[in-house]
Amino acid sequence: MDNKDFIVGPDDPILVTGASGFIGPRVVEALLHRGFRNLRCFVRPSSRPSRIEALNAYGRDGARIDLVEGDLLCPEDCTRASKDVMVVFHLAAGTGEASFPDAFMNSVVTTRNLLDACLQHRCLSRFVNISSFAVYTNIRAPRWRLLDESCPIEGRPELRGDAYCFAKVKQEQILTDYGKRLGIPYVIVRPGSVYGPGHDGIPGRVGINTFGVFLHLGGFNTIPFTYVNNCAEAIVLAGLKKGVDGEAFNVVDDDLPSSRRFLRLYKENVRRFTSIYVPHAVSYALCYLWEKYSSRSQGQLPPVFNRRRWHSQWKKTRYSNEKVKARLGWTPQVPTAEGLRRYFQSCVDMGRHA
Amino acid sequence: MLKVAIVGCGKIADAHASQIQRLKGCEIVGVYDREPLMAKQFYERFSVKRYFDDLTGLLSDARPDVVHVTTPPQSHFAIARFCLERGCHVYVEKPFTVDEAEAQSLVELATERRLKLTVGHDDQFSHVARRMRALVQSGYLGGPPVHMESHYCYDLGRDGYARTLLADRRHWVRNLPGKLLHNVISHGLARIAEFLTSDSPQVIAYGFVSPFLKRLNEDAIVDELRVIIAEEERTTAYFTFSSQMRPSIHQFRVYGPKGGLILDQDHETLIRLRPGRFKSYLEKFVPPVILAEQHLENLLRNVKTFLARDFQMKSGMKYLIDAFYRSIIQDGPVPIPYREILLTARMMDAIFAQLATSRCVVDAELRT
Repeated sequence: MDNKDFIVGPDDPILVTGASGFIGPRVVEALLHRGFRNLRCFVRPSSRPSRIEALNAYGRDGARIDLVEGDLLCPEDCTRASKDVMVVFHLAAGTGEASFPDAFMNSVVTTRNLLDACLQHRCLSRFVNISSFAVYTNIRAPRWRLLDESCPIEGRPELRGDAYCFAKVKQEQILTDYGKRLGIPYVIVRPGSVYGPGHDGIPGRVGINTFGVFLHLGGFNTIPFTYVNNCAEAIVLAGLKKGVDGEAFNVVDDDLPSSRRFLRLYKENVRRFTSIYVPHAVSYALCYLWEKYSSRSQGQLPPVFNRRRWHSQWKKTRYSNEKVKARLGWTPQVPTAEGLRRYFQSCVDMGRHA
Repeated sequence: MLKVAIVGCGKIADAHASQIQRLKGCEIVGVYDREPLMAKQFYERFSVKRYFDDLTGLLSDARPDVVHVTTPPQSHFAIARFCLERGCHVYVEKPFTVDEAEAQSLVELATERRLKLTVGHDDQFSHVARRMRALVQSGYLGGPPVHMESHYCYDLGRDGYARTLLADRRHWVRNLPGKLLHNVISHGLARIAEFLTSDSPQVIAYGFVSPFLKRLNEDAIVDELRVIIAEEERTTAYFTFSSQMRPSIHQFRVYGPKGGLILDQDHETLIRLRPGRFKSYLEKFVPPVILAEQHLENLLRNVKTFLARDFQMKSGMKYLIDAFYRSIIQDGPVPIPYREILLTARMMDAIFAQLATSRCVVDAELRT
């Protein structure tokens, strides 16, 4: 793709938040690969030193990489980070937090702070918000429904029992609100299940290990994987391509494996362990009972398993990447077979397993 | 209907709202957080009547009878005083205040205004803690405690949590006089304070930064603490706080002249220790059977409580809130006596003062 299709030039300042996370360094790499030479990487003070060092190393090839250390909860840090910036890739988010207030604060309040800071500087061309498939509701959809960008967003995210889902839905709401009210130009990217070297663990869509034994819940479901480099490439295109303001893009790779196939490959390539397959009817019934008991017992069991979650994660669903291909010209550079090979090898090398 | 408001919409406020909503005869009429988005998300999740972005508005428009203060500790005093001055009863999360002077000031103001105060030492109202209190009050110990041991551990957990706290030089925990200790130890000290009779026991504290934190280049956060507490050759107590010892226990042991009790907060078990001895080898065989029987009894009790749907992780908070609200409605005694709140604050002041002094000595030695 020619750079004339892009909304900014190679020397225009670009901000990447969450630059030392899992996807962030690949976004930085993809931007550099496309010739962008003026990058600002926002990192938390608690970032791993090795990841900071890796970001610094990118600057040795003539590109300007400014590392900005700070906290997005601090408006002054946001103002400092977004000064003169034309495109923001907002990857920083509260992940892995079980508490709703913490997840909300680290995803929504931070996003609001960053949007306010961008408004002050008045030079923003696009704000790219990295969301998730977690925002979609599937509750009234038929089995094997095709999930694409036109599907409805979870209307009662607080009932999913998933702090991450709640925070991501609210994050999208605040972004679209700023877009409508204050004219912030934005694009939303919703990756499926991002995998790749450096990210161990089996996605919850495949199964859970909560009760001391791995419960395989996915069965023949398709898992909406996207390899981390492919995902980063889609994010970069979403931030640069002309004419896509206000759009949302789902990112999933081609040739997606079923949950069963992924689990078999994982066991063959990484380590063997016992898993118990739970048929869909049974997992649905268990989620239903858990939800009812949680409500009746006034939260004696937290409402982490419920029908909304089952519909979202374990119902048979198909996934589309037509829009991201057609509108952004994206194609997954790393085929799924190769991506899985690299991922399994990384799990073995890290010596850590799910 | 008792009208309740919550100030501060962080993680612990969720626990407050969940437990308040389990009680009859009260409703949450409003919430406030200085970050309006936080107040709004709380309002949406808990179906609260209204949310506010200023405290004055909350108190004047929602007109609560009771305010729960669930903000970081540095703001407890100012918010609690503001609420008391406007005629509200106040439940303050732990630690009650930053120091004893602030605590004393709040207690005096509440007393003067004929309002009630309590502190969020909800562990003291868990099922097992209430059982222990009932046994002590029934004279099980055979007199005042001779000695107590309170272990309150804090697992810094995975490297990630510690790194976040350590790397954030602006974290509010760092600005407390006792830093991490200040935010955590009051639960364990309050257990001891409950059974002390003197208002100014002797406190000897020794604390240090664990090798774990030192490896992460941290030298300001003390995460290992040992304390001896003694009141004039009567009752003594040991308090242990550790981030490194395993298992990471929360236990309280109290020994009287005729018997002792071991409370395990994590397992919700209470073990009675009898003073008598069995003859010869029976001493090796019979007591283990008695202990096994007690553990089985604890198990059955826990199962029964679970089946009765009253075993929530924060069920102690429900009982504390309930007792506090009843004290307001009936104008009865507060669930945690003010003397105990002040004594806990005084012991904490003494501990942090000694740690600061010993730190100055170490720094001076390093300089020379």
